[in-house]
Formats: sequence, C-alpha cells, structure tokens
Amino acid sequence: MSCIFFHRDLRLVSLNAFAFLFSEMVQYNQTRVDNIAELEHRLEDAGYGVGLRMLELLCHREKGNRREVRLLGILSFVHSTLWKSLFGKVADSLEKGTENEDEYMISEKELLVNRFISVPKDMGAFNCGAYVAGIVKGVLDGSGFPARVTAHFVPVEGQPRPRTTILIKFTEEVLQREARLS
Amino acid sequence: MIVCVAVVGQQNNPLFIQSFTDGDDELKFHYIVHCSLDVIEEKVTNPKKTGTTMNETFLGLLYPTEDYKVYGYLTNTRVKFLLVTTDQDVRDVDVRSFFRRFHAAYVDAASNPFHVPGKRIISKAFAERVGAIVKSFGVPTT
Repeated sequence: MSCIFFHRDLRLVSLNAFAFLFSEMVQYNQTRVDNIAELEHRLEDAGYGVGLRMLELLCHREKGNRREVRLLGILSFVHSTLWKSLFGKVADSLEKGTENEDEYMISEKELLVNRFISVPKDMGAFNCGAYVAGIVKGVLDGSGFPARVTAHFVPVEGQPRPRTTILIKFTEEVLQREARLS
Repeated sequence: MIVCVAVVGQQNNPLFIQSFTDGDDELKFHYIVHCSLDVIEEKVTNPKKTGTTMNETFLGLLYPTEDYKVYGYLTNTRVKFLLVTTDQDVRDVDVRSFFRRFHAAYVDAASNPFHVPGKRIISKAFAERVGAIVKSFGVPTT
C-alpha cells in the first residue's frame, strides 16, 4: 500500500498516484460488501497494516531511543510525527473529549484521502477517512494502547464542507495503567 | 564471536532465530533465548531497581553464563532483539551500533506487505542482511 510520505531527502509520492490507488481500493471493496459498516471495516483493516508498519518505521527513524508509555506522549506522536510523515503537516487539532475520560479527537479540515472523494447521499454518514482511522488504530495498538478509532464528519458553521474528526476511544486497561503511572 | 541472534515478538513468540556456529546446538540457543526473556520482563517492569530508565530501548547485558553473554534490546512495539556472544571483551558501543543496524533490517522486513505481524519472518533478504551485520560485528570502524 502506498501512502504519501516525505523522507528526509524529500522523496515524494505523487498525490495523483495515491488518489487513483485509493479510489480503486474503495471501489474494489464496494463491490464485495453488503452494507456501509462492512465497507468502513474493510478500509479500517487496510489502514491497520499500514499503521503497524509506519510505527516501526517512524520509531526507528525519528524517535531515537525513546519508547512512549504515557497517553499524552503517544497522542502527540500521532498528532505531529505520524501526520507529518503521512500528509506533510501536523494535524489541525488534538482535543480531549468533554463527556468521557477515555475519548480524544484529532481533527482535520480536509483529510488528504478525502480530497477527491464525494460521498453520495444514499450512503449516509460514510467517511473514507476510515482508512486513516485504521492507520491510527494500527499505531496505537502496536504501541500498547488498544483503542477504538473511528472517523466522523463534523459540520462547521460558516464552512461549506464539514471537517473530519478522528475519534479515539481508549480501552479500560489503558486508562487504569495511565492512572497508575501518574 | 556472535553465536546467535533472535527476534521475539510481543507475546514472547519467536519470530526469527539464527545461529552462527557449525554445531547443532540450536536447541541450546532456544533455551538461552527463552531464559533471557524473563530477565527482559524483570527489567521492563522494575525500572528503578535495575537502573535503566523506563523508555530506553537498549537494555544492555542481560545475564552472563560461563560461556555466553546475552544482550537485549526492546523496540517501541515490544519486539525484543537478543544477541548471544562468546566474546569476553565486547564494547558497549559495538553492541549498540549492532542493534541499531539490526533494527533497521527488522523495520525493512516488517514493511514487507506480505509479512504478517506476529508470524515468523521468512524473508531471505532479511536473513542475508543479518548475516552481513553479524560478520562485520566487532570489526573496528574508523
């Protein structure tokens, strides 16, 4: 699977190539599923493998000798390092959920993978950002922070297109461990 | 002289074991590697007692037996690298640079789309790279 990532020596992958590949991937899966939830699930699975491998690669290249054990540490790793190597910029925002202790949100005005995609109305709330959610899930699972990660459209006043939010819900054991460490 | 290198996965399952001696004591190396896993667990769960910081990757000398010394290295994804050597005067910096190159080879093997994470590494290219790294271990570099 190819992603757009920027090496230190600025070797780039073309956006067109990735857009075509991603579009084929979505179409391929669309013909083989019965409902929207399964399509999202398949995209997530595709992203999961990418996430695991990106984690190995980035930890080796960027982080030197440190291993992330704190929640905020791994979240800021995802928010800046991972986003920078995948999309060339850090994510727009990282927020903590107000209702629940275990929810965090990474928002992006327009996800790169969604740039050339428009979802027909009869598909409801389907978001191809499920692929990116899968990548984040792979990174979190690989570092020992199991979580449920989903992608949602959030309408913003004043903007014609809604922004995309990646919602991360950590499992109970992660929160317990975090409480023990702090 | 390095006699064995091993890669052990997150659930302590062996992903790759390669011995570099002519004898058929492969089983003995499996046993040594398995025992070292306990030492790694202890180091990771009790950081203050053993002196390493909580998120350091290089774990250092795990335990010396009468013939062998075992060095350990833990990656961010809880994959462990183990190095068994018979040298008596191994420099710390040599082992660190060995593990750095080994980590690079491992990352390349893991990036293989046909590699299933958690299963054995069957890439011949990885085995060759590991062989090359082992051969150049201990050779003084300028």
